[in-house]
Amino acid sequence: MNADRRHMILGLVAFFSVGISVATWTRAAAVRLAETQGKAPEVATASASDMGYCTGELKVILRRVLTSCGLAAGPGSRGCQPLQARQVASMSGGDFNALFAPLSERAAIIEFDKDSADLDAAGADLLEKTFSDRRGASYFFVVSRASPEGSVEHNRDLSHRRGSAVLDHIRAKFQDPDIEQEVGLLWLGEEFAQLDQQFCQWHRSRVGGECTSAELNRSSFIAWIDCRL
Amino acid sequence: MPNAEGGQSEAAAPPRKTLIVLAAFALAGVVFAGVSSYDFIAHLDRQVHAITCSIVPGIGPKDASGASGCHAVLMSPYSSVLRELTWGGIPIALPALGVFAFLLFRAIDLLWHKRLPRRETQFMIAAAALPVLTSIIYAIISATQIGTFCKVCVGIYVASLGVFVAAIVAHVRAGAAEADPSGKSSSLGLWAFYFVEGVALVALPVLLYLVLKPAYADSLLRTSGLRHPEDKYGVMLDTRGGGQVPAIEVLDPLCPACKAFSERLAASGLGERLQVKYVLFPLDKECNWMVNESLHAGSCAVSEALLCAGERANAVLSWAFANQDDLRARGGGNQSAVYARIKQAFPELAGCVGQPAVRARVNKSLRWIVANSLPVLTPQLFVRNQKVPDEDTDLGLDFVLSRVLAQSAGAEGKP
Repeated sequence: MNADRRHMILGLVAFFSVGISVATWTRAAAVRLAETQGKAPEVATASASDMGYCTGELKVILRRVLTSCGLAAGPGSRGCQPLQARQVASMSGGDFNALFAPLSERAAIIEFDKDSADLDAAGADLLEKTFSDRRGASYFFVVSRASPEGSVEHNRDLSHRRGSAVLDHIRAKFQDPDIEQEVGLLWLGEEFAQLDQQFCQWHRSRVGGECTSAELNRSSFIAWIDCRL
Repeated sequence: MPNAEGGQSEAAAPPRKTLIVLAAFALAGVVFAGVSSYDFIAHLDRQVHAITCSIVPGIGPKDASGASGCHAVLMSPYSSVLRELTWGGIPIALPALGVFAFLLFRAIDLLWHKRLPRRETQFMIAAAALPVLTSIIYAIISATQIGTFCKVCVGIYVASLGVFVAAIVAHVRAGAAEADPSGKSSSLGLWAFYFVEGVALVALPVLLYLVLKPAYADSLLRTSGLRHPEDKYGVMLDTRGGGQVPAIEVLDPLCPACKAFSERLAASGLGERLQVKYVLFPLDKECNWMVNESLHAGSCAVSEALLCAGERANAVLSWAFANQDDLRARGGGNQSAVYARIKQAFPELAGCVGQPAVRARVNKSLRWIVANSLPVLTPQLFVRNQKVPDEDTDLGLDFVLSRVLAQSAGAEGKP
């Protein structure tokens, strides 16, 4: 074969091989791009957690409690007293407590001395630990109680002060701008939903001490609720 | 076309074995540069692709995880040029493909010659010097700037060196130079012709690529911004960058893509125009309920260190980027091992990391992400509250960011 012709043929083979390869690859990418345009990306969107225990019934109660007993519910609605709580929950004390059963690992019981609303060091520690372990939860419940000693009015006031002590400590320690929107506060005195001894097994601030029904109810029950409303 | 076989007086029989070796190295170069070009071009669809990372292309699985040196090099700012002019830029592998195709073409052509004039081998040496020089430069960049080597690139380096050495050997074996009756001007004419052929073979793939590559639609830039860009939780890390354009980067300190993104942003020069604030989004199940498995184990603890560091956050972030592999390995075992490493490197943070207060701050950072309904991925960049599309944070970063900056500057100039 003539050298010039051979040179030309080899050159054309090189040009076409490179050209066709690059053109094919590039057009294939353009076609794929056209096919994917307008399609929503398959990536999850960040959201608060919504655990399996968030049943419809629990969400109804939650919504009622947050509407009526939430700190952001408006003037005069800064928490619920026992009577209101009973009305809001629309259920017996036992059923009300049973709602929190799935929260055994997320909740804590901050215990107080008899006739006192002062947080002790162990109570403050457990409160901070529990509050900082928020994860994806949206709402924080503070349910304060008093043991049956003393008058009903006194215990109502005592449980209110216990709930307030918990909230004041959280406010001071964590400076959370959303606290008004995320906390539901109930003080139940001795009148509604007293804790029974099965709660002795839950996280308590006074682990080493006795766990009588009276001691259990001199407390603030706190829990993050992993439900989306 | 000049007939190279005309210079009979300085010609000897071609050293065929050497030319076959030369052709084999050139073919290897074509394969490696072709594979590299293919992988780069595949990303023009703005999707994530597994890439070839084997010294024998086609053997072994492709890298889909992004952990290989090939991925690091492909996504580095050095894999292409003119990135601000066209999305992704022009991949360096593309002209390399043209060069090796030309060298292969020349080697096969010489194999057919009855005689091998030394001016042929002289040109071959000069042509083979180009990929050798480029390989040396890129090997230095890989070692000093990227910190890793890509197996396909190493294949190109070896092919370049092989072609060059084979060209020298062919020249030596072509016989002693004698006076060329056709004169020096004849040699120059031949070389000029080959040079034009070579340039054409390099220009062809580049031009085809530029003509056929998908155009970037401006509509892709019409992304939604942040619903709540304000820092009401006090969780943004202010890097005190020298730029004027406010930007927010959502990152995970142990995410390799975030590290690479940070490097690309710094290398592009456009990063200097931004005043970036970081929001931490650790994709680690220790603190992040949005992931079932830890994508970057240990990043919750490192995020705490960043928030604890305050004004020294940049130093902690640089350290975290530099030690990502080690920190992720420790995080995969036990969180306390990550805390221990942090305390060893930054003793002043020992009283802060792991404490409820800073854990609550990490949680607030995640709540900022939830409040803005962001996708669960990192990194994400918002410039003047306009999101740089996630698909454009790697190869398309320079091109898209320059457009976003131009758009926002234009919008600011409007009355």
